[in-house]
Amino acid sequence: MDFQLTKEQRDIQTAAREFALGEFDPDMAMEFDAKQQFPVGVWKKACELGFLGARFPEETGGQGCGLLEHSLIVEAFCRQDSGMGMALALAGFGSEMILRHGREDQKSVILPLVAQGQGIVTAAVLEEAPAFSSIETSARATNHGYVINGAKSFVTLGTIASYMIVACRSSSDAPHIQSNFLLEPSLEGISVSGMGDKMGMRMIPVDRVTFDGVMVSEENIVGRSQCGDEQLRDFFTELRVETAAMGTGIAQGAWDRAVAYSKKREQFGKAIVSFGAIRNKLADTYVDIEMARLMVYKAAWSFDRGRPDTRETLMARMSATRAAYRTAYEAVQIFGGYGYMTEAHIERFYRDAKALELLIEQPPFQRALLADQLLGKVQ
Amino acid sequence: MHDVLDTQEHHAYREAFKAFLSREILPFYDQWEKEGIVPRSAWKRMGAQGYLCPWVEKEYGGAGLGLEYSFIITEEMAYAGVHGLMAGLHSDIVAPYIHGFGTDAQKARWLPGCVSGDKILAVAMTEPDAGSDLSSIRTTAVRQADTYIINGEKIYISNAMLADLVVVACKTQQESGSPHKDICLICVEEGSPGFSRGRNLEKTGWHSQDTGELIFRDCKVPAANLLGEEGKGFYYMMEKLQQERLVSAIMSQSSAEAVLQMTLRFLSQQRGLRGAREGLSMSQTMIVEMATDVEIGRTFLNSLIRDHLGGEDVIKKVSMAKWWTAEMANRVVSLCLDLYRDYGYLEDYKVGRFFRDARAHPIYAGTNEIMKRIIAKVLGL
Repeated sequence: MDFQLTKEQRDIQTAAREFALGEFDPDMAMEFDAKQQFPVGVWKKACELGFLGARFPEETGGQGCGLLEHSLIVEAFCRQDSGMGMALALAGFGSEMILRHGREDQKSVILPLVAQGQGIVTAAVLEEAPAFSSIETSARATNHGYVINGAKSFVTLGTIASYMIVACRSSSDAPHIQSNFLLEPSLEGISVSGMGDKMGMRMIPVDRVTFDGVMVSEENIVGRSQCGDEQLRDFFTELRVETAAMGTGIAQGAWDRAVAYSKKREQFGKAIVSFGAIRNKLADTYVDIEMARLMVYKAAWSFDRGRPDTRETLMARMSATRAAYRTAYEAVQIFGGYGYMTEAHIERFYRDAKALELLIEQPPFQRALLADQLLGKVQ
Repeated sequence: MHDVLDTQEHHAYREAFKAFLSREILPFYDQWEKEGIVPRSAWKRMGAQGYLCPWVEKEYGGAGLGLEYSFIITEEMAYAGVHGLMAGLHSDIVAPYIHGFGTDAQKARWLPGCVSGDKILAVAMTEPDAGSDLSSIRTTAVRQADTYIINGEKIYISNAMLADLVVVACKTQQESGSPHKDICLICVEEGSPGFSRGRNLEKTGWHSQDTGELIFRDCKVPAANLLGEEGKGFYYMMEKLQQERLVSAIMSQSSAEAVLQMTLRFLSQQRGLRGAREGLSMSQTMIVEMATDVEIGRTFLNSLIRDHLGGEDVIKKVSMAKWWTAEMANRVVSLCLDLYRDYGYLEDYKVGRFFRDARAHPIYAGTNEIMKRIIAKVLGL
């Protein structure tokens, strides 16, 4: 057992921290949050320095690193700024499916695009019905390829994505048989519309995408046909760790700010950090953060050793997004009236933390999945 | 659910107010939230219908009703998620300072306007360096013949932009040696020379509530605007803060009830969807736990309202209710959001706004940490 990061990992962590410190201007972040805009300029810079494609092989513009290194980067980014960090991490949403399961020609198009910041990739997976149910959007085989019909919701950055991976059921008699299609959203029959304002994670607008008789070819299928289910499962496993890394970063960032403020702010003639009520909060939340971090690193480490463990990824996601919410909640409290004001920046961490907790797999769903993993499914 | 407030008269009043709310307030509320302020005309409509300070005696223009009628209004507004037009602050937090400590002349001069909505009220205690520690305020009031000259800055003041009359906590230069004994309350009216407003601050929630800064630069007000006696301001605040905390608890409790109801409605609408049944069965215990929390909160709150209306000393109980309902409301809304799935973060689903709004409750009117400090004192810790 060795709890040390390697020198290379520490260097990556430091580089990511320094980048975020230099580039994530808080006032600029506040403006992107207010306008609900994706921070294109910062994203491109992060890509130029190789931060966002670190997991990808070197020949596709990446660094050949693992999920642990990626997690360190995402954590450092979110620690500096919750909104910027999440926006950057999610700019290649679903590209993991290409990385792990795509054909070589698909990898050579998509991975450099994501790694070098030349285009946004997204995945259209969720539908109106809860995540427990099967996918309804269908890809019907015809003589000339496939015809896609259906609708997807909560598609991140749908309006500005260059490519979209669409999860479809691909067999009329077996709903669980799925294929994922890699499409350009400009295709005829695809329409993208915004889902309105959000209370958190505002730099990542989400969209509704409808598919009305969209004609695609066999070539558009990600990797092998009828393997969509497995591809999605692997993607969610990896996404959970990434989300957990975001949560750890947000929690740590909120904690750092709460500590700095409580040392500076004086009431009753003393810095408020000297009061038990404040010290208790800072101690309790630090336990949450450190436990989440250990879980995230463990899950990423197992993944990188070729032994992804669904239980670990779920526990990482559950503990880290919970730590983010709780820590940001208490951090706002420590800031008092100022904390509720936009200009203090800490309330953004709070809104973002809750939005992150709600992203795709919510706590009740995570808990049920974990119970299934630990105890077996109820027959 | 509202046993203390549930005679036939109360019920009829509640129904009438709900009808008013859905006709005159709710259709415009999203717009006000965007604009960051409530129009003055809405306050006047509230006043015209008798929904501001309904407890004020008829001789001052009020309806002479019991205080609980005001609480019904606060409850229904919180239930509907209306925090911008903060009637509870105006009627039950600020007006009682004038009513409780004002002279007959002051009451006759100001209360009729408070009832009609022509005089919107605010109370200014907090300063950039004096939040939880109220005794450390630095705004000064110096008596010069028939006037007070006020200098200082107040921050996070609700109704800051609209207020026509602000009850300002100031230090008089008495050098008593006890910071608590130097404070006085002075009414500053719109148009007083040297009184200006700073920024209308942007916040997590309560977007239509104008929360901002007030600036006093050699601000001149007649000495006749002093409320009660010099040097007693701190004690006046300690007295009236009890009811402020009760109003806060009513708001927290009602928000929690609203969010739970809303969530149950959402889930029942979802019931037809594929997979929804599985989701619901999984969340059953969690919903039951929330319903229990909400019920316990209501029971405690109603018992507190009963005590308060009966004139009992509620300092311990109201401090407990204030922090507990604020935490509970935030816990409930956070868990309810989980049940809304990804919809929870969309503003179109009202629950997201309740989430943003609820975060204020553990902070204003004395933070939860201050509530616990007070309770500790009462317990002799």
